[in-house]
Amino acid sequence: MANESPRRYWRSLEERAPDDAFREAAADEFPPAPEQTATLFGRRGFLQAAGFTLAGAVSAGCQRAPVRYALPFANEPETVTPGRSLWYASTCSACEAGCGVLVKVRDGRPIKIEGNPEHPLSRGGVCAAGQAAVLGLYDSQRFTGPRRGGADATWEQVDADVLARLAAIRASGGAVRVLSQTITSPALQAAIDRFLTGFADGRHVVYDALSASGVLDAHARTHGRRVLPRYALERASVLVGIDADFLGTWVSPVEFTRGYREARSLEGDPPRCSYHVQFEGRLSLTGTKADLRVRILPEDEPRVIEQLVARVAAKAGVAFEARGGAPAVDGAVLDDLAARLWAARGESLVMAGTPDLAAQVLVNYLNQLLGNYGHTIDLERPSRQRRGEDAAIERLAGELRAGSVAALVVLRANPVYELPAVHEFATLVPRAGLVVSLAQAPDETSALAAIVCPDHHALESWGDAEPVDGLAAVVQPAIRPLANTRAAIETFARWSGQDATALDLVRAHWQQAVFQRSGAGEGFDAFWDRVVHDGFTVLGAPSGQPAAFSDGAVTPLPASERQGDGFALVLHPTTALLDGRHAHNPWLQELPDPITKITWDNVAALAPAAAERLGVTSGDLVEIASPDGSGQPPLVLPVHVQPGQHEGVLAVALGYGRAGTERFADIGPRWLDAQPGVGPNGRVGVNLAPWLITRGGLVHASARRVTISRLPGRYELATTQHHHSINEPRSVSSAGARPLVVETSLSLLRSSADQELAPHPRYESWWPDDHPTGGPRWGMVVDLSACTGCSACVVACQAENNIPVVGRDEVRRQREMHWMRIDRYFTDAADDVDVVHQPMLCQHCANASCESVCPVLATVHSSEGLNEQVYNRCVGTRYCANNCAYKVRRFNWFNYAHPSERENLVLNPDVTVRTRGVMEKCSFCVQRIHEARTEARRRNVPLADGDVQPACGQSCPARAITFGDLNDPKSRVATLARSQRFFRVLEELDLRTSVGYLSVVRNREATSPEAHHG
Amino acid sequence: MKSYVVAALLAVGLGYNLLAVTPRIANWRLPGDNQDYEPIQPIAYSHRLHAGEMQIPCLYCHFAAEKSRHAGIPPANVCMNCHKSVTATLGAVRAEDEAATAENRRPRRVMSAELTKLYTALGLDDQLAPAAGAHPSPVRWVQVHRLPDFVYFDHRPHVAAGVTCQTCHGPIETMERVRQTTSLSMGWCVNCHRTVNQTGVAGRRVNASTDCSTCHY
Repeated sequence: MANESPRRYWRSLEERAPDDAFREAAADEFPPAPEQTATLFGRRGFLQAAGFTLAGAVSAGCQRAPVRYALPFANEPETVTPGRSLWYASTCSACEAGCGVLVKVRDGRPIKIEGNPEHPLSRGGVCAAGQAAVLGLYDSQRFTGPRRGGADATWEQVDADVLARLAAIRASGGAVRVLSQTITSPALQAAIDRFLTGFADGRHVVYDALSASGVLDAHARTHGRRVLPRYALERASVLVGIDADFLGTWVSPVEFTRGYREARSLEGDPPRCSYHVQFEGRLSLTGTKADLRVRILPEDEPRVIEQLVARVAAKAGVAFEARGGAPAVDGAVLDDLAARLWAARGESLVMAGTPDLAAQVLVNYLNQLLGNYGHTIDLERPSRQRRGEDAAIERLAGELRAGSVAALVVLRANPVYELPAVHEFATLVPRAGLVVSLAQAPDETSALAAIVCPDHHALESWGDAEPVDGLAAVVQPAIRPLANTRAAIETFARWSGQDATALDLVRAHWQQAVFQRSGAGEGFDAFWDRVVHDGFTVLGAPSGQPAAFSDGAVTPLPASERQGDGFALVLHPTTALLDGRHAHNPWLQELPDPITKITWDNVAALAPAAAERLGVTSGDLVEIASPDGSGQPPLVLPVHVQPGQHEGVLAVALGYGRAGTERFADIGPRWLDAQPGVGPNGRVGVNLAPWLITRGGLVHASARRVTISRLPGRYELATTQHHHSINEPRSVSSAGARPLVVETSLSLLRSSADQELAPHPRYESWWPDDHPTGGPRWGMVVDLSACTGCSACVVACQAENNIPVVGRDEVRRQREMHWMRIDRYFTDAADDVDVVHQPMLCQHCANASCESVCPVLATVHSSEGLNEQVYNRCVGTRYCANNCAYKVRRFNWFNYAHPSERENLVLNPDVTVRTRGVMEKCSFCVQRIHEARTEARRRNVPLADGDVQPACGQSCPARAITFGDLNDPKSRVATLARSQRFFRVLEELDLRTSVGYLSVVRNREATSPEAHHG
Repeated sequence: MKSYVVAALLAVGLGYNLLAVTPRIANWRLPGDNQDYEPIQPIAYSHRLHAGEMQIPCLYCHFAAEKSRHAGIPPANVCMNCHKSVTATLGAVRAEDEAATAENRRPRRVMSAELTKLYTALGLDDQLAPAAGAHPSPVRWVQVHRLPDFVYFDHRPHVAAGVTCQTCHGPIETMERVRQTTSLSMGWCVNCHRTVNQTGVAGRRVNASTDCSTCHY
């Protein structure tokens, strides 16, 4: 047997502790209701009411069905057929990464965003936030039209107003500032530039709330070009991340995930597996995938970089003397890493998220010494996903403070919310003579604006993007604007004296500026049509050549003292909300965080040792304060004890506490026992952005020291951590935890070729095979090595299958409805933990335990191996859920359907909206199977492997999910099912699942110290 | 004394109920079964005339049945393929011709009352030119064949397999007004799916699934 000694996998510290009571409780899928505070209804009262309701329902049912009308088009457009979906290629707008998407439009309304498999950046992947953007389109709280002085106005009124004010500013030579985050749209950028040339003192101030300013500034020093390079992770065989969460939130996670996956494709020929080392203080998504994870304090990040430079420089024979002091890291680890980096010269990559300029210059030097520029780092075609400059914000704040800004136009940015408190934008913004906001929905900044000219949602508007130099993409509308909004590009053109539609403006810009660069032989019209169809085009020559590396820029770090007492506060974005721009999206708020599994809140994450020292446990309230009393007023947060975190780190997520999240107070079902869905401050979470600090003109997210003191009182977090546990209580099994995950090291995998890692137990059955499948047998294989836990599949499933949002209170009651969850297991490794992400969905067992207990045959087996759930037959006994070994069934405790017709427009008409009292679960996207088969039959072609893709697999950035016909030996899924890494969860139950997993492989030696633990 | 009154009243009520219910017991049916539903439509469109007498193929108007889940009610512009020329019955046109000859004038365009409703919906005037101030608006047809929300019926595989429209919709080419001739109940669907797996459709073998998820998902 080739696998290592069994490791124990646990989801939380409570589960690891030898506490039987906890595990007994966690095994209860439908926990008893918490103690009733009010007893409005006794049992008898309930029965009386139920009887009355039944009688009423019966009498109400005794009538004919209502008359329904069917309204065809008067003049049907040629391309539209009711009931048939259209797909439009476009570019994702959820962040600046600019992934290629396909927008599914059904009967005139966009209902789903999927990845464009041909797009060179994302290659078919879309993250959770990108897919949830479609819900934002139907947000009922978006601006419905322009506003002036806090009241609704017409476009003529606001334009006349703005133009009059701008004319006066032009005459007086006043300063006009356009403030935005990075704009990747060349056409919009050109429109802004044209608008600003009309003024003597017009400037575009660009910043990024999730800044990479340090990387850009460092490249300005070392290469003479202030750009963010494009990192080619697929070419890296040794990868070092230093507080750069590149698989989760840093710059372009989907693109990086895809590259990372390619460099670790174990089933490829030849198999590849890069070596990834992550240095970080908190536990990030990227850290969970690392082969070696080193926990360091934020202040040690520059020191680690400098030590690596010193070691690599010694190997390169270059003199370099480290002066910044030694980090608290084992020197042997750094020696080994430096040796590996040096051995992989030209195929290694060092990425750092630290904003420290001197450290970033050293990172560049390190990559230069390793010869990575031109190989794994592309400066000829750099990224344009981050172009902001932190120092520009400081300059703008100075100008505002001096009262010298005559007009401030804010678009695609929310500076009042997301900038450090030292900039005082809340008080400074009103000091500009005229404040205009181009926000789509009310935010902290638009509240201070005299005039609001709301922008379209990206799904309503023409636009373009150039996320990476030389990759030009279009954004095309998928629906007419729902409200009286106007594209930002039109607004700027109008103020520059040009009346044109967004389409004309984008097209004109492409004709002038992009078409020549394409080198296309065709005419512009043909070129444009092709680009709109494909969604993107790759342009010819790069726009500029990088200068050579200038060694003169490199200096050792200044000697620095260790910082004093207290905790290092690490502020980080989350994969769902990013900088807070998605805080109004309930799908993302309810998405369990991949690491903490907490929904609807941000928390004070502390390492177990730190929590023990402070005497707190998860759910205790603590007060966080600056030790010297400077800076921010203290704030109160609930504690979450996070294994894998550095003992000296307090990690809190950014993006919470947005104004307007009060709307989620009654998001869940309204019933007697409902609790508000927001925190004590009336909002979802607490905003930590004011706690960011600036140093040397750069915004630091993790440089502040804080003290923590325990407060009385507790707070119940809505965490899905222990929900749907498939570990069994010890009263049932004396063997302890079940082996839910198979894990191995690369060296063992290579030495045990063709040998099953987890030998499958074979059971003789007394009965003939109940469910033979003559045609296809649908199945899925999930590669746990590839899965990063990013949760894109969870949102994809939610969008495809009309899964409701239940709100924080119901999540607390273990009633979240996600058909797909990602079980995140920890396992002990040395003094740290290893993490495994295991997407868990209905396993479509051939020998299903749910089917045999349903008294009404509402869950049965199909001839193609699907475990079917028939909603209209289900009477809600919940026997099936109790008997499901994988805990993947979800019960509708309420009618969750949204009353708002507008927000219901996002529903997929191909999937039933379930009602109260019905059990539901993953259907393997049976509607997609039908669609693919019906289309194949209609075209009279056989169904090919890969024609059917469930929503989760379609947009998986890591291509971890493979779906297909297990009966076809040549299909990809059947090939993977024969892999030596293949295993089934709980195989000992002989449920004969159709879903299998490929084991986790870490690039480690079998004899490394970690392997002995567990 | 009082109880006699109450008992008598109850007996009368019961008798009345029995009398009221008895005739309905014979044609009792499951809730949701709309067999024989034949609503009055906003335009007295005749399938007998179009599909029967004129022999227009079903898929000419219901073209979506081949490529979409829904067969679709044809948009009004499909009607105009013919009815931009045919504006009234032949009899009415001939009568107008004769009248015009008799009165020694050019014949006027004759429009039948039902077709005028179509032209109005399309926002056309009596010369079939776009009328000033009029907007095309859909005709509010009353839906006849309707399945519950938890049933997903797809026309495509049925059309592709060669199932005739009449199999489910009855002798539509003889109907002046569309009537639901079958119950469209689950048992009715499943019976056919079972039968055709034995008999085939139009001489070809078919695989009509009886899995629940064929229709319920």
